[in-house]
Amino acid sequence: MNNIKSPLIFEIIGKCETSKARVGRMTLPHGPVDTPVFMPVGTQGTLKGMLPEQLKAMNLQIMLANTYHLGTRPGPKVLKKAGGLHKFMNWDGNLLTDSGGFQMVSLLKLAEITEEGVKFQSLNEHKNEVMLTPEHSIEIQNAIGADIIMQLDDVVSTTVPDKARIEESVHRTTRWLDRCLQAHQNPDIQSIFPIVQGTLFEDLRRISASEHIKRDVNGFAIGGLSGGESKDDFWKIVNLCTDLLPKNKPVYLMGVGFAVDLVICSALGVDMFDCVFPTRTARFGCALLMNGQINLRKKQYALDFNPIDSDCTCSTCKNYTRAYLHGIVTELPVACHLLTEHNLAFQLRLMKTIRENILNGTFKEFVKKFMEDLYPKKDYPSWITDSLIAVNITL
Amino acid sequence: MKFTVKHVMKQSARIGELSHIKADFGIKMETPLVLLHTQAGHIPHITHEVLKLISKEPQILQIPLVSIHNYYDAIQDYDGRISEFVGSKDTISYITLNDPSNLTRQGHHVKEMVPIFTKNGKVLYDSQKYMAMINNLKPDMYTLLSDGDTNIASSQKRITKSVENTAAFNKQCISYQKKSSNLQDSFVIAPVVGGYCLKSREKFIELILQNDSFVHGYLIDGLHNNGPEVEFIPFNEVELVVKKVIDNLPESKLRVISGCWSPVNIIKLVKCGIDVFDTSYCRILTERSAALTFSINENDLSEAYEINLRHNQYAEDFKPLLLGCQCITCNGYSRGYIHHLLTVQELLGSVLIMIHNVHHILRFFSKIRQSIRDECLVDLENNILDQYNEFQCQKIKNLENENK
Ligand SMILES: [Zn+2]
Ligand SMILES: [Zn+2]
Repeated sequence: MNNIKSPLIFEIIGKCETSKARVGRMTLPHGPVDTPVFMPVGTQGTLKGMLPEQLKAMNLQIMLANTYHLGTRPGPKVLKKAGGLHKFMNWDGNLLTDSGGFQMVSLLKLAEITEEGVKFQSLNEHKNEVMLTPEHSIEIQNAIGADIIMQLDDVVSTTVPDKARIEESVHRTTRWLDRCLQAHQNPDIQSIFPIVQGTLFEDLRRISASEHIKRDVNGFAIGGLSGGESKDDFWKIVNLCTDLLPKNKPVYLMGVGFAVDLVICSALGVDMFDCVFPTRTARFGCALLMNGQINLRKKQYALDFNPIDSDCTCSTCKNYTRAYLHGIVTELPVACHLLTEHNLAFQLRLMKTIRENILNGTFKEFVKKFMEDLYPKKDYPSWITDSLIAVNITL
Repeated sequence: MKFTVKHVMKQSARIGELSHIKADFGIKMETPLVLLHTQAGHIPHITHEVLKLISKEPQILQIPLVSIHNYYDAIQDYDGRISEFVGSKDTISYITLNDPSNLTRQGHHVKEMVPIFTKNGKVLYDSQKYMAMINNLKPDMYTLLSDGDTNIASSQKRITKSVENTAAFNKQCISYQKKSSNLQDSFVIAPVVGGYCLKSREKFIELILQNDSFVHGYLIDGLHNNGPEVEFIPFNEVELVVKKVIDNLPESKLRVISGCWSPVNIIKLVKCGIDVFDTSYCRILTERSAALTFSINENDLSEAYEINLRHNQYAEDFKPLLLGCQCITCNGYSRGYIHHLLTVQELLGSVLIMIHNVHHILRFFSKIRQSIRDECLVDLENNILDQYNEFQCQKIKNLENENK
């Protein structure tokens, strides 16, 4: 008898008749997550000045934290002593951590990738060389204790043309996946997601996906996108990957979170998203709207007594005018909190609308209306029309 | 709004009550009380949504004009009241000229005008411009315009100018107030100036008492130029002036003092008969990453008067800031987590410290009121003073150890 409870149960509760969009419910150790879901990024174990009490009140079910940052400060030793990140940051909802590899390659110029792992110069005062191996990444992620954790992958930028190097990265990523699964200490409370690699090469994506689906895992991530490739290339790879991956497991598209991308990729069958943009942009006075975004620093808002978005029910839109926010953005830290709250509420509302339309059988109409509002002149970029045609939605 | 003196203690510390407040007619607030110091209507780092998690009681927001001057045009077009404009309809608003948490620049005087230093530079206010703004803000309470730019080092000449200017402002502002329909229900606080010259204080009060019937309270202004230094003003430096002013003011009126006074000096000022303070000290503390942790009640398991969360000793300390404190910070977050947030420069660190500090000061004031009622304010004073002295000794010891 196997009495270990699975740390991830995924049920599909509704499907779009037209596209590949679906609504699911993931049950994780810290509660349910309704998919498609957007996960905001709380890099250092906190979300831009927001209290977990506020996030709960907004119905946030899962957020992301970064292993590279948390592994550096406060470090796995402190996190372990604190009883894991949930306890440390007082968040009893779900958490997902990345592997730290992507951050290292993108943040640290001196990172060097070998079969053993990612070698880099430490940020501490000794500047000694440190190696992040798959085992080490999992060790840190075990100490953090997130509900979903990521394998260490061999990240190659989508703009690298060297196919041999990308092919190497695909095979190495699978070898590292096996080392991660081997090193994992908490399989009953944390699920490791493999990452499908292969940049823009369809044949390599096929190899990567076919290897990874042989492993006993609870979900999959699509990696190596959102790195400066053209949107026309981007959607095709997403569409291919959701075709290749098993339908009964959640699919996570890493680093994607702009409203239009969320709508399209939900139509392509993606279940999970994350992006720093909605929270990071708040600091610069930027507020998100269904038909784009506004920058509250602009003088035109000085006498505008409307809320950011009259359709939004967040506490910022209920209580503040654009004129007031205009006067404090980039001046007072509370302005950042207020805009973060709105931007988060915006992302959550968008995902909720997507889910409701899928369940009501109105997703196709919703997508058309959404794109019309965004492009009132109907001058749709080719990637939007093409990607939607691929899933039977014609604008 | 109405102020009633309820209970006067022997040393003249007193309990009073604010009632008939326009924003909410049913509420009554007891003095001595502490105004919530804000910048543009927000306690630094705290949104109103979070404020509701700190305190469910009615509060008065102290809104410095200098922090909202950039809304001058917007306010002209805006129909609502200032508390609504800053996103907190249900709170009571109190407009002051300067921000007690920031050092006010000295000088730049112009006859019958007052310079304020906004983020976009110097702006001159005269009574007309000031009252036009106040009229549009429709606050529950406000101070009349004042030239309070004096401190212990000010020359007699500066003091005389400050008295002349402020007496003129008093007259001009009150004549505006009388005509304004927007301000008929506003609670008027008249600043009292005169620096550290008792004669000038006396003379000034004489000058403005003719308007006493239009005034609901007095602010003892001109003692300092705001900012962090106020914490370190020795009480005996201000004692004579404060007592002199209080002696010369009508007993039935509210007495206000502003600035980042230390808790021990707050008690001493309460003993002189001051009714209203502000929480600007919480900002000073939070900016230096410090949490107030002196014990107020027996169930506070205090370890020190104040702790600085930047210190490495807290990196693996998973205790709350103050064991026994019921604030949301102490209920869910550890010193170690706050230390981490400060080390990685995340906004939430200041949010959590500020929540605790404001909660602690509110609790401190509630204890002050209780102690006046129980006639044991001296015991509270001695208790806090002992903890403060112990903290100072510890600091010196730590320094000596470091030098070794
Ligand atoms: Zn909103
Ligand atoms: Zn506390």
